[in-house]
Amino acid sequence: MATTTAAVTLTSDLLSDNMSVTASTTCMKAGTTADGLDQMEYGYLDLVTGDEYDLIGATPTVSKASKLYLKNHSTDETYFIAITQGTQAIGKLYGGDWMFIPADFHDAAGEIAITANGGTNKICYALFHEGITLNASA
Amino acid sequence: MATTTATITINSTDLLTDELSLTSTATLTTAGTSTGVTQTSGLARKTTGNFTPDTAAGIQANVLYRAGDYTADKANKVYIKNTSTTAAEYFTVHIDQEELGRLYAGDWMFMPWSATSGTKAAFTVTIAATWAAGDTWEFDGITMTAADADLDNIAGQLDGLNYPNWTTTWVTGEVTVIFTARYASDASEVVYATADGTLDTAGNGTADISSSTAGTASESDITIRPSVHTAMTYETLLINE
Repeated sequence: MATTTAAVTLTSDLLSDNMSVTASTTCMKAGTTADGLDQMEYGYLDLVTGDEYDLIGATPTVSKASKLYLKNHSTDETYFIAITQGTQAIGKLYGGDWMFIPADFHDAAGEIAITANGGTNKICYALFHEGITLNASA
Repeated sequence: MATTTATITINSTDLLTDELSLTSTATLTTAGTSTGVTQTSGLARKTTGNFTPDTAAGIQANVLYRAGDYTADKANKVYIKNTSTTAAEYFTVHIDQEELGRLYAGDWMFMPWSATSGTKAAFTVTIAATWAAGDTWEFDGITMTAADADLDNIAGQLDGLNYPNWTTTWVTGEVTVIFTARYASDASEVVYATADGTLDTAGNGTADISSSTAGTASESDITIRPSVHTAMTYETLLINE
């Protein structure tokens, strides 16, 4: 099986005492301890202001343990991408921000879309999953 | 200025033909600036369970963060971890009614959060006519007992009480008090009428309710639902503006 680990470290001095939170997970297939996520989709793109982009061109198998990593590589802090799932706003990734979320793409309305604002945003993404359904060719 | 950083490292030696190694560090700043974020909930830990009934049928979602408590469209970030060690146990994460995904045992997530709230219901109470010391007005389970007959003093007393579901606004010398719901909702907090407050006056005092504003539901509260009714533990942290 493939072994992929994802670790996070959050540190801050905004409290009276220093804060440090760490976590690490091995990305497993849903409900297992012996079988890691073994498929991946990766991309890097320039997204012009106002453009909306469906991040994943195919439909990953629903209700699984897929993980989505997304980073805004823009260096201008006023640039951001707005992230939505279906019609639901999730949040905004400003220049330099990243996110890592479980994504189960439960139906066609569950696709994750990003919209660029402020200028041409440079976006990197990676989807770790356990199977996808290719969309029909137009 | 506070400095808060978030670093992710993704590694795999065998997912691809070549080794995968990705590291990214973000310094968390307020929206559109290089100024560091200044607020956090701190790290919290909670164990779910003890549902009613305490069976699978009784499982309820936990509200992690209510959008109405935070400023919308900022650079807020949310961290959640499922600390379970049982592989099949997961939390389903929702933003409003939209299912984001499942956090299985040991999984964590870190995401931006728009915190788009709805509208908080509001109404105005006007203290008028003739009141007397000892008159009462009850609302939201709280009873105000007038200390004297002065109308603006009575309005001030209304403002000084702690209502479980409402906040109040009052200006010294005024006889009106604005009540605003603590949470945006369209479930029950609709247009309020005078009858919603219970007045007991020795004279002809009034506490009419006017200018009611109906609430609308929050659009991005974050909830998580455990997959089992037995104990599951999660950790969460909000960094916000």
